[in-house]
Amino acid sequence: MRIVFLVALLGGAVFYSYVAFIDLSFFNQRGRPGAGFFPRIVGVAMVVLVLWAMVDALRDRRAAATNGFHDGLGDTGSGWQDAAKLVLLALTYAVLLRIFGGFVSTIIYLGLALSVLNPGRHLQNALVAVIMPIVVYLLFDRLLNASMPPALIDLPF
Amino acid sequence: MDIFSDLFMGLSIAITPINLVYLLIGAMVGMIVGVIPGFGPSAGLAILLPVTFGMDPIGAIMMLAAIYYGAMYGGTITSILINTPGESATVASTFDGFPLAKKGRAGPALVMQAVASFVGGTVGVILITILAPMFSQVSRSFGPPEYFLLACMGLLTLIVMIGSSWKLGVISALIGLALGTVGVDLETGQGRYTFGSAELIGGIYFIPIAIGLFGLGELFYAFWSGLHNTGSGSIVQYSKEQRFWPTAQDFISTKWTMVRGSVLGFVVGVIPGAGATIASLMAYSTERSLSKHPERFGKGEMAGLVAPETANNAASSGAMIPLLTLGIPGSASTAVLLAAFMLWGLRPGPLFMSQNPELAWGLIASMYLGNMVLLAISIFAIPLFVQIIKVPYRILGPAVVVICALGTFSVHASFIETYLMFAAGIVGFFMRRFGFSPAALVLALVLGPLAEEALRQTMTISRGSFAIFVQRPASLWIIGITIALLVFLPILGRIGSRAANTEKAGG
Repeated sequence: MRIVFLVALLGGAVFYSYVAFIDLSFFNQRGRPGAGFFPRIVGVAMVVLVLWAMVDALRDRRAAATNGFHDGLGDTGSGWQDAAKLVLLALTYAVLLRIFGGFVSTIIYLGLALSVLNPGRHLQNALVAVIMPIVVYLLFDRLLNASMPPALIDLPF
Repeated sequence: MDIFSDLFMGLSIAITPINLVYLLIGAMVGMIVGVIPGFGPSAGLAILLPVTFGMDPIGAIMMLAAIYYGAMYGGTITSILINTPGESATVASTFDGFPLAKKGRAGPALVMQAVASFVGGTVGVILITILAPMFSQVSRSFGPPEYFLLACMGLLTLIVMIGSSWKLGVISALIGLALGTVGVDLETGQGRYTFGSAELIGGIYFIPIAIGLFGLGELFYAFWSGLHNTGSGSIVQYSKEQRFWPTAQDFISTKWTMVRGSVLGFVVGVIPGAGATIASLMAYSTERSLSKHPERFGKGEMAGLVAPETANNAASSGAMIPLLTLGIPGSASTAVLLAAFMLWGLRPGPLFMSQNPELAWGLIASMYLGNMVLLAISIFAIPLFVQIIKVPYRILGPAVVVICALGTFSVHASFIETYLMFAAGIVGFFMRRFGFSPAALVLALVLGPLAEEALRQTMTISRGSFAIFVQRPASLWIIGITIALLVFLPILGRIGSRAANTEKAGG
């Protein structure tokens, strides 16, 4: 997984450097540091260091494979599963926010998330799923006068 | 005398009913943030920053600062009662805090940690009151080369303290610097990495990234590491009636511990990158080496709890010095505080205290009051925090996602920023998982534009020569201090780690 993350980072670093060298000039017309001055330094440094970190990671992986070493707390499978569940639920919430707006999507999301993460406690989950959005609405919309996400579709509330 | 008149002016600003309410809310929230394992002050500050937008700047800054130092108080309650530090700066408090609780002295331990935190915090604020104007005076001679070097110092010292790998720390900082370059270049007017998007013209906003990395990222990591399955563990019972209060002997035997912890903590706190965790571990280690009974440490010695507690609170005060006088945050939490200042159009730095005396001294004065409020809350609201510890993470998790999302949206009513926050959360999780440093990324994102501007100004002044950095006495001093810190900080870190490892091995 670490290698995959580093490869993604390397891709980002290479693209960042490419834009810095192609689109942005190192010096401006008056011979002073231009818009590309800093990005080029940052981009090149990032590419070099990510490559270096990849070499380290490959070496570590080879050593771990030889020693049968397990590299983390949650690497037992269930750790990744639980984190993935929460990430997926969070992404679902991001989509719901756009469609149903802040209040309704929070009720739906909390109901869904709690039924997955806290199964069997229906009353507790229902109470949290209803009370929390009301508290958040009162805090953000009424007390702080901050805007809640509006719904894409017309809702009666 | 000037200091006293400034401080009284600050007190007159801080002591208004509404500001006191903000202070109380900040102190309570800070303690709650500290009590929740897996969430540090930086996460609490980032998540709650949007909530302060509708507020008056002085009240808002007072509240955010109270969240920052209040987290240090709260983190120890879990260290004592369930042997789980609420945040990294209270790790050392578990060494003797939990054994004290197991010996039936949970009440005295909780009260003494509150008193020690109060002493550390208050000594720290007294030292800020005396030293901040002096630092401000010295830094007035600084120009672009010095500012660039200071930004480098802040980033480098944080990176060498990361521990796992300096390479990953530097990469994290470089990602932050890269994100900081997005938007229109103010000097040339050229768009950088905007790809024609109107949303990116103003650059990548700091708040969604900080909330995503510290709020969601930490939450995903907590779920990955199984924190939601562990529950609150077994909470050591304590009685409010029987043997709740410490004895006179507890106070007498730890009076010099408090003095040493406060001074040491403050000094370490002033150093960018060192922070409260190192301060508390060092104070613990120092106290044990000075003790006539080092064998009692780790088995429920009151000095072993008091030393790290005074140090971590003094360190959190000390960290305000470089922030207020140089505009350089030394940690992720102070980076979020700096961002908060900037949101209100304020730029901490050498001229900050002379140009914004009401705000600067109002904040300092509020820290005296805040420590008093926290002392009272720490002692009398313990049952409330015990109830909060009992809230399972699997309920807390989805609630945190809601607050992060709605908080981010409330800043600019932008769905793009909200989605950016979710993306930063996922990236933050992988960064935590693979040993990168979200703190270095955030610090670089805040310092990056300042560093770039200072570097380009420096290059313009020197006509492209880097020799300017060694030609100016102030620059030379900063380079010297940075080199010294880069040599000594890992040593300090190793001393702290050794103290932690010794305690782990011992029990």
